[in-house]
Amino acid sequence: MSERITIKQVPLEELVITPGSACQGCGAALAARLAFKALGPNTIRHSIPACPDNVTRTPTSGGEFEAGGDHVTGTWRALKALGREDVQVVGFYGDGGVYDIGFQSISGAAIRNENVFIICKNNEAYMNTGGQVSGATPQFAMTTTTPVGPMSRGKPHSRKNTPMIFAMHGVPYVATASVAFPTDLIAKVQYGKGIRGFKFLDILSPCPTGWRFDPSKTIEVARLAVQTGFWPLYEIIDGRKFRLNYKPRELKPVAEYLKLQGRFRHLSEQEIEEIQRSVTEYWERLLKLDEIGEILI
Amino acid sequence: MIEVRLHGRGGQGAVTANEILAEAAYYEGKYAQAIPMYGTERRGAPVTAYLRLDEVRVRERDLVHEPDIVVVLDPAIAQRPAILEGLKEGGLVIANYPHPPELYPLGGNFMVSTVDATAIALETLKRPITNTAILGAFSKVTGLVKVESIEKAILHRFPGPLGEMNVNAVRRAYERTPMPIQARGEVRKDEEGPLSGSGYGLIRSAAGWRTFRPVWDLDKCTGCRICWIFCPDNAIGWAEEKPTVDYRKCKGCGICVNECPTKAIEFKREGI
Repeated sequence: MSERITIKQVPLEELVITPGSACQGCGAALAARLAFKALGPNTIRHSIPACPDNVTRTPTSGGEFEAGGDHVTGTWRALKALGREDVQVVGFYGDGGVYDIGFQSISGAAIRNENVFIICKNNEAYMNTGGQVSGATPQFAMTTTTPVGPMSRGKPHSRKNTPMIFAMHGVPYVATASVAFPTDLIAKVQYGKGIRGFKFLDILSPCPTGWRFDPSKTIEVARLAVQTGFWPLYEIIDGRKFRLNYKPRELKPVAEYLKLQGRFRHLSEQEIEEIQRSVTEYWERLLKLDEIGEILI
Repeated sequence: MIEVRLHGRGGQGAVTANEILAEAAYYEGKYAQAIPMYGTERRGAPVTAYLRLDEVRVRERDLVHEPDIVVVLDPAIAQRPAILEGLKEGGLVIANYPHPPELYPLGGNFMVSTVDATAIALETLKRPITNTAILGAFSKVTGLVKVESIEKAILHRFPGPLGEMNVNAVRRAYERTPMPIQARGEVRKDEEGPLSGSGYGLIRSAAGWRTFRPVWDLDKCTGCRICWIFCPDNAIGWAEEKPTVDYRKCKGCGICVNECPTKAIEFKREGI
């Protein structure tokens, strides 16, 4: 399990070159900055179509949307053949590339337990093309393909629980993180870096443009997602050992999180209650797992 | 045919302003064509949109290369000589600029009128979204589209209180915009290169993206590193237990201002 660090222990060295072309207040740009701080320069980065976050001082290559897993696999096998197993192979993909389009190839890499680190900068929709719905989009969220009108109340289905799906592959390390908890994020990347095998980290990266909130509130929104239980922070080792990293005595009401964002502006009291019920129910299940410290399946 | 080019930054609504103008012209029985520039437009990055107005049907389908009128929604971009590219001799510039047209810094053979649309937007909308305010100025200076038609188009697009606020912005801008004068500023080249430098990868400077600039009061700073860790664009450095800032990298998102626990960072409107 990752060890807690303080803000003073965060490396001062920056791996990103800025200014990049991300939007003002971009959560994914911050996710890139923090994750690569922890990964360090001895890293090869892979990209597939996604929003531009930050350019990093690492060798970087781009591949096809659906081939994220194959792409990192190839690099890792080549490094192994060259005897350069010290190099970290990272796939820094968006949620479209991990949850939907790229899922099959990453699932393949996971089941083969390739020594790669898949980091998902999760902004809960296809934001690069203007905000179309993805598997990561939460229920009732308005996107350009699930608009709000007389016939539609935003996305009709709940989101895909991808971290748990990867955990069920039995891979060495799966974790969730948030840009509002940078020390937790960095500790998880540092811990994952030291493990041989498939690692998956899902970072919730709020998108001011697509989620419709003021760019200055990126961290506030990301923090509330965790504090309300909407985005629980946890880590799973070998698909079994489970730990919640953030356990407040009491969760904040999920309405506080939803009300900050334009994509949830249309919600009725009843719909907010429905979201609250599902969040609370899932949180209680996670608390039980945390108590046992294991996923018993 | 009158050809117009609009310059703004992503999030200020240049494309929306363009469409509202076209709709307003349509209400007056004119023909209009609104074209947004296609590219990787980003919130905060320079964006361009094009408009054609005519009494007869518009047959052209390309972008506007030699505009009669240039409308600029952002005061930082209004100072960039790149906005004058292709402007016809004796053309017109309507700029969001906080000073009267006599002090407008660019020069050449064109007329210029200015309005402090950012101030009007902050008064009426409480947000620096300058697109509707600049439309009031457009109507006043050009007379091509009546202000009533613009108001009708705005209320069609934004029904309810939001529309009323925007109509208010249009009216205030209409009242405050002076008639254009011959540009008196300096004729110079743009050192920063073309405006539409967005897309993937690095950009030269993000300084033109800001409406507000974070300013540190180091006496109040406790050295907690929170502003440093949360800066997405790595604009805040850390040296001798105090933050340092590189304004070339700062996009003015305001995360540092919002997160500072001792409120040691003030968000000041970008000085022009």
